[in-house]
Amino acid sequence: MNRRDWLTASAAVTGSALTMRFQRRRYSRDFRPKISRIAILNADQYSDKLDQLLFDGLRLFHLDVRGKSVLLKPNIVECIPEKPVNTDAQLIGAAAEAFLRLDAASVIVGEGPGHHRDTDLLLHETGLGDQLAHRKIAFVDLNRDELIKTRLQANYSGLGNLWLPRTVLASDFIVSMPKVKTHHWTGVTLSLKNMFGIVPGCRYGWPKNVLHWAGIHESILDICATVRPRFVIADAIVAMEGDGPLNGSARYLKTVVLGDDPVAADSTLTRFMGIRPESVAHIREAGRFIGNLQQSVISELM
Amino acid sequence: MGMSIFRQIFCLKNLISFMVLLEHNQAELEERTLTTGGWASGSGSRATVETTCYVLMALHDRSGPARNSAIDFLLRVRNQDGSWPAFEGDDPEGCWTTALALIALRFVNAGFTGVDKSLSWLLENKGREGHWCWKWKFKTVDRAVQFNPDKFGWPWFPGTVSWIIPTAFTVIALKQWHACCGTERITDRIHLGIDMLRDRACPQGGWNAGNGIVFGAALKPHVDSTAIALLALSREADPVDIQALKWLREACVGCPSAFSLAWSVIAFSTHEDPALDHCFADLHRALFLKDSVSNIETLGLAAIAINAAEGKANPFMVI
Repeated sequence: MNRRDWLTASAAVTGSALTMRFQRRRYSRDFRPKISRIAILNADQYSDKLDQLLFDGLRLFHLDVRGKSVLLKPNIVECIPEKPVNTDAQLIGAAAEAFLRLDAASVIVGEGPGHHRDTDLLLHETGLGDQLAHRKIAFVDLNRDELIKTRLQANYSGLGNLWLPRTVLASDFIVSMPKVKTHHWTGVTLSLKNMFGIVPGCRYGWPKNVLHWAGIHESILDICATVRPRFVIADAIVAMEGDGPLNGSARYLKTVVLGDDPVAADSTLTRFMGIRPESVAHIREAGRFIGNLQQSVISELM
Repeated sequence: MGMSIFRQIFCLKNLISFMVLLEHNQAELEERTLTTGGWASGSGSRATVETTCYVLMALHDRSGPARNSAIDFLLRVRNQDGSWPAFEGDDPEGCWTTALALIALRFVNAGFTGVDKSLSWLLENKGREGHWCWKWKFKTVDRAVQFNPDKFGWPWFPGTVSWIIPTAFTVIALKQWHACCGTERITDRIHLGIDMLRDRACPQGGWNAGNGIVFGAALKPHVDSTAIALLALSREADPVDIQALKWLREACVGCPSAFSLAWSVIAFSTHEDPALDHCFADLHRALFLKDSVSNIETLGLAAIAINAAEGKANPFMVI
């Protein structure tokens, strides 16, 4: 073997090793249902009418939540006047009411804001505090909840384990309620990205910078493989486009998207936003094991 | 003359009211002590270092078992390398709570002798942008967030970049312990930390969690971040500090959160700012709304704030 052959062989071996590394299966379980279901509800504005709209929308899915503990995970980040940054308080209240009407044993709203340590202030500013008090719905600050060390069910970030809130792990039925937004680092922030907020600030910081360094897309995949949202209620009545997730401009989509598969819901929403779902790394990869990406296996309920 | 008498009566009435509130707060904090020592966040059963530090500072002048068991808890959960974890049972990696624990133990005169190791851990720890490789990246390739990577502070957790609150707490801890264990290296890191805080201020004054500008857009300052950063900058007269104080005075008006107001009272008290009286009254009002004091951190901070405002003792004061 001369030097050229040796170099060629070395390059081939290295290339194969790298290819195998990136193509190696990094998840332990395939969650994809045969058919995923979504429903697209029209809503002109945030109003009391959302209570009935959501109840009727949820009934389309024949969800079995009787006697179950439901956790609603909205996207509450920062209160910036005139900017549609957060999941609307009225929509969250309406979702809580709808699950109670479907005989859920309990409904809790939980969020761990990324930058804000004063969650009480954020709840006040966004109107969510009043909304929940009015409806007698409990709120849990996931940034300061009791934590349980949890083995991740996928290995994209290399973190292996995460300390996760007891409230999240003890819930029977987790509903991701994202605000539909563009995001300068992840392309979009939808139901999968929204699950970033369950990671506790008291263990990973404000923001959860440990996850940023482990890779945002990678961390999203590991979190969602471990705590897969069972349902999605996406707030696209007023969405955000442009410089999201904080400084974009309002886009009136006048829609609430429901789905029993977070990947199907996110891929539908990205298409809505004029973005190819395959171009968002975590959605593309999630389509291999967390849920369905292809339109052919996504059924729209009317 | 009449006005002055009226003000004195008003202040006396307020003082009595605050003393009652303080007594009530401290009694409730003692009642919520975990059997293993320390205090948990929320309704948890596992003591966290941050919560325990605040409550220990709040109970510094009490002589009950709660105070002593809190000190025992802090000494027990300390890592081998001198750092502190986030909570009991956490991985032994150490984090930002190390600075807070040093502030608390010094404040209550716990007779803590292992400070050198903890200070060394703090000095070894720095924001990732402090490494030449990342410094180069932030100066050339990654300009999404605008800051000067030559000015770095401390991260929440090792291996990540610097943020305002952990940097501010560490600057305070280093300044406080400097009197007994000061070295040139500590002095340098204090100056670097202060430079970092000023570099990352929001354009309108005050501080967000980290940078003031991201993707060309100015971020909104937060009340608690601003108040905590100001504690680290006490006795300084830099234009950034003055602008931050001005922003905080305005932001506190009508603020309903006892957590943010407590931090603001401590900051105004440290800076002997005239906004203290007004902010103190707002804190009083917020504390009477039951929902605002549901978490134990807020109860602890409120007690610290009342003590600081009355000129009794301020754990974050730097001599």
